[in-house]
Amino acid sequence: MTNRIWIVVFSVVALLCLGIWLFISNVSSPSKVVGIYKDGSLVEKIDLNSVTDEREITLSGDFGDNVILVSNGRIEMKSADCPDKICVEHGELKSSSSPIVCLPNKVVIKFENSTDGADAKAGAVG
Amino acid sequence: MKTKKLILTAILTAFALVAFVIEGAIPPLTPIYGVKLGLANIFTLFALYALGTRYAAAVMSLRIVLGSIFTGQLVSFIYSLSGGLLSFLLMILLKRFFPLKQLWVLSVLCAVMHNVGQLAAAVFMTQTLAIAYYLPVLILSGIIAGAFTGLCAQLVLMRIAKIQYKN
Repeated sequence: MTNRIWIVVFSVVALLCLGIWLFISNVSSPSKVVGIYKDGSLVEKIDLNSVTDEREITLSGDFGDNVILVSNGRIEMKSADCPDKICVEHGELKSSSSPIVCLPNKVVIKFENSTDGADAKAGAVG
Repeated sequence: MKTKKLILTAILTAFALVAFVIEGAIPPLTPIYGVKLGLANIFTLFALYALGTRYAAAVMSLRIVLGSIFTGQLVSFIYSLSGGLLSFLLMILLKRFFPLKQLWVLSVLCAVMHNVGQLAAAVFMTQTLAIAYYLPVLILSGIIAGAFTGLCAQLVLMRIAKIQYKN
């Protein structure tokens, strides 16, 4: 009897998580401004729509280099020296809810919320 | 009796290590860090119910340390350990509420706890809260993986109990 209760509880939680996940991974980002973070601090902020020439950004970390490929409207991790390569398999950055993450080198690439204060500051500097 | 338990602990640790290394050799199903079955936990759970808390602690900590050495991934060691410690604390706290027939429930709770702990460590290490977006998918994978490994341990233990009654 208790088994049944637990099955129901876990199924409900699982479905709820699946729903939330599907919902947030399909929300495409309204802004095309991405931030590249290393060790939690911003390295570079790029507006993908204003990129004309393809270029590579290389970041060095504890486990070697991460090479980020930026072109018009798209950003992806081209290669990484870390053992798992999860960030490379992630492919192009599409959704604001699933950032590209390289845990070994502590690199995060994500869309920026264009309405927050940090952007205004970066804009003033740029 | 104590020697018997000691030997069983060693055997279970060896099994857990083999499961861990084999699982690590299989390419990940999803590009999301932390989504995996955790086959090695079958043996930790087995040790918990067949031998006791201290033996389960030995199986798990030895497996984490040796497994990290064998696979040569020190990064995952930190995440492994933080998730492992949290889920183990939960396991010894809650064990008394779950008889053998509900082992799989305990396994699910611990697996979810493990993934949440690992994610918390990742947020802390990268100083990026955005990674917390992975929480729903990690809870989901924890439920599935926990139910699977828990049922494996539970079914084996229930069969063993039956054999012991016959003899």
